[in-house]
Amino acid sequence: MVLELKNITKNFGGISALTDVSFKINEGEIFGLIGPNGAGKTTLFNVITNMFSPTSGEISFLGEKISGLKPHKITDKGICRTFQNIRLFSQMSVLENVLVGGHCRSKSGVINSVLRTKSQRKEETNSLEAALELLELVGLSKFQNSTAENLAYGQQRRLEIARALASNPKLLLLDEPAAGMNETETEGLFDLIKKVQKRGVTVLLIEHDMPFVMKLCDRITVLNFGKKLAEGTPAEIQNNQEVIEAYLGAEEDDEIA
Amino acid sequence: MLLEQIINGITLGSIYAIVALGFTLVFGVLGIINMAHGEIFMIGAFIGVLITSVLGLPLWIAFIAAIGVTVILGYMLERIALRPLRGKQGVSHLAPLISTIGVSILLENLSHHIFGAGNHPFRHSFAQIQFQVGSITIYLVQILIFVISITLMVVLSYWLSKTKAGKALRATAENLETASLLGVNTKRTITTTVIIASALGGIAGILVGMAFNSVNPQMGLSMGLKGLAIIILGGMGNVKGAMAGGLLLGLAETMIVAYGDSGYRDAVAFITIIFILLLRPQGIFGKNTAEAGR
Amino acid sequence: MLGDIINPYHLQIVSFILINIILGISIYITLSSGQLSLGNAGFMGIGAYTSALLTINFDLPIFLGIILGAVVAGVFGILIGIPALRLSGVYLAIATLGFGEVIRVIFVNWESITQGSIGLSGIPHLGRELFKTFKLTGFDPDMLGLKNNQFIYLLVVLILLLVNILLVWFFIRQNKSRVGRAFAAIKMDEKAAESMGINITYYKVLSFTQGAILAGFAGALYAHVMAYISPADFAYHRAIDILIFSIFGGSELIWGAIFGATFMTILPEALRFISDYRYMIYGVILIAMMAFRPQGIIDVPLLKWFKKSLKLKRGVSHGIGTKKYN
Repeated sequence: MVLELKNITKNFGGISALTDVSFKINEGEIFGLIGPNGAGKTTLFNVITNMFSPTSGEISFLGEKISGLKPHKITDKGICRTFQNIRLFSQMSVLENVLVGGHCRSKSGVINSVLRTKSQRKEETNSLEAALELLELVGLSKFQNSTAENLAYGQQRRLEIARALASNPKLLLLDEPAAGMNETETEGLFDLIKKVQKRGVTVLLIEHDMPFVMKLCDRITVLNFGKKLAEGTPAEIQNNQEVIEAYLGAEEDDEIA
Repeated sequence: MLLEQIINGITLGSIYAIVALGFTLVFGVLGIINMAHGEIFMIGAFIGVLITSVLGLPLWIAFIAAIGVTVILGYMLERIALRPLRGKQGVSHLAPLISTIGVSILLENLSHHIFGAGNHPFRHSFAQIQFQVGSITIYLVQILIFVISITLMVVLSYWLSKTKAGKALRATAENLETASLLGVNTKRTITTTVIIASALGGIAGILVGMAFNSVNPQMGLSMGLKGLAIIILGGMGNVKGAMAGGLLLGLAETMIVAYGDSGYRDAVAFITIIFILLLRPQGIFGKNTAEAGR
Repeated sequence: MLGDIINPYHLQIVSFILINIILGISIYITLSSGQLSLGNAGFMGIGAYTSALLTINFDLPIFLGIILGAVVAGVFGILIGIPALRLSGVYLAIATLGFGEVIRVIFVNWESITQGSIGLSGIPHLGRELFKTFKLTGFDPDMLGLKNNQFIYLLVVLILLLVNILLVWFFIRQNKSRVGRAFAAIKMDEKAAESMGINITYYKVLSFTQGAILAGFAGALYAHVMAYISPADFAYHRAIDILIFSIFGGSELIWGAIFGATFMTILPEALRFISDYRYMIYGVILIAMMAFRPQGIIDVPLLKWFKKSLKLKRGVSHGIGTKKYN
């Protein structure tokens, strides 16, 4: 078991964004998190990465409690994320973005960096190689020197994934990676995520593209109004009455002729 | 006499409060600190000197002239230093701050050249009138300043909460885009805000002249920093906070001068800034928003 | 012959340029992690007074005084930098401005130590002390065709030049490394940087402290070049000067600070008649810069163009610390 959420609740003032959410993610899974807009999915991501802490509840990662840790420590432990509204380092190059992603996997400080010691140079070479390999994986190799903000939208999304992978995470959190993509791009994304899974990375995915989610995910949890509505395989979820109602609204008993 | 010091403190504090109101209005609506506000206040004071001491005209003309000049300065500030920055993409949120710093040093140096450094006496007929209440001496000037100050605050509060223009201002302060979509003429509202704030600065300048009988070009910088301290103390964008903060600072400074080491008087404001920003960035009355500080 | 071309007055201007470059870099380095600190005049003063007092009262050798001046400024940098983490943007700028003013007020009032507004005179002069050492070896500037004071000013310039070269090298190296990338990431998007595993507390305080150390260092050098300091040297106007170096010159690059400091030091000297109106011109420059070119004169595209036209290789700005990749 890679990630376990126990009774996660998050309140903002008087508003309950999340209420008593619990689930487990197993190693190697592609786990989907779906629900209507405003259900609390991104809030859940923010709580897992501790951009803010839960009002109550516990989160364990690889058997260790991570609920109070600072965000950069959580990344160090092996969880990394992408953002719903793409937060790349816009003025940096594509390659530099990925290099920054790998920050916590190297450790040269000021002195080593300025003096370019042997260990620092080795680290930089390794970081560079790792970054180039990731750019190859997401298909952005020929854009490595382009400025991040000049990339097309779909390319920016893939860059964010490469950047997140640079920290060698065991768990990758993807926040609506397919948003705004056309069919070809979505297929490419499908292949990419499958490749990521093959590298041994567990994936937690927020998405609205239902066919995509159903095809890709091993298991799915559904959130609605901050509460967990259902959990199961794609087939189970697709046939779950409550889920259908949450998305489509309850069926009318009387039909108007 | 402790009571007399308290009255001194309240007088000083009333003036500080008016300056702070100017700061807080602009910050509330535009989200920027107008670093030139102190200099506008100083120029208002010098206009007062010009009118009363040099031209020998009555005090009320000084008020009108000061308000007139500071209003024009405020308008130009908004037009030249702030408006061009509003539409641009990728301009860091520090750009307006730096731009107003530019205006402030421009104005400060300008006055240096026009008026010369050093103190300039501010004479007016009221200076000597005083009352005796028990063993305490109160000057008419002090009462006048306090009354003007309170009146301004009351009028401003009323204007903000009850009039259409005032509500437009508050709407713009909350959310520029939404206010604009709802039909508020945000450009005019912003200009109005800066103008009112500058006029307040001008009035405060005259009051300082009245209270201390002299003005100098360095006043602007000092007042600017103190105004900042006050709105940080009271909560940025908060009218009540500006008033309360102003009075508090006025009292604190007067006490330090009377009973402590007067050399450190100016440090009170700066130390306040630092401590409040660290301990309670939203100030005494401010809301605990995510923007306060971080 | 050398004596004909060396003008002590020009040398002194060069000395000021070199000290101002260090100051410009001090604000650049905090800006590079997204923090605008207006308190570097205060750190400069701390460095200056520390070194001056130690060398005057305890007969410390100058270089030791300067190092200690920088260190003490750095300690204050950490003390201010840590609480400053809670602040950003405008709030940080104001708080640091307040700090600078508090320092100045302390200098003015702590007369028993600092002599207050009168200032400290008789600070050991960098050039003159070094000259004494030279004389002990039997050297005479006459051998180079120089008068004593020409030689002294020349020594000062050479030392400052060496220091500058070292510092610029240091920060260019730091920039092109993991540390530099971290700073830039924090500047562009702090939360995202944190999510990518960067310890923003550590790097922000690091950047802030480096700025303080540099400003303190510059202050100490200033003290031993002027041989006289007073609280007025480290007041609001100084903070504005330092701000202009970076904002006008180019706040995104170290070359911007270097250019800005050089240009802004030469300008009032070259155009004597405007020297009186200096701060009015600074004001107009700040306003115009923010409206038309907020990043300053020297920015990345300009630098790239410059390098290309000199046919130098184009590099990635935060690239790699190895020779293998550009």
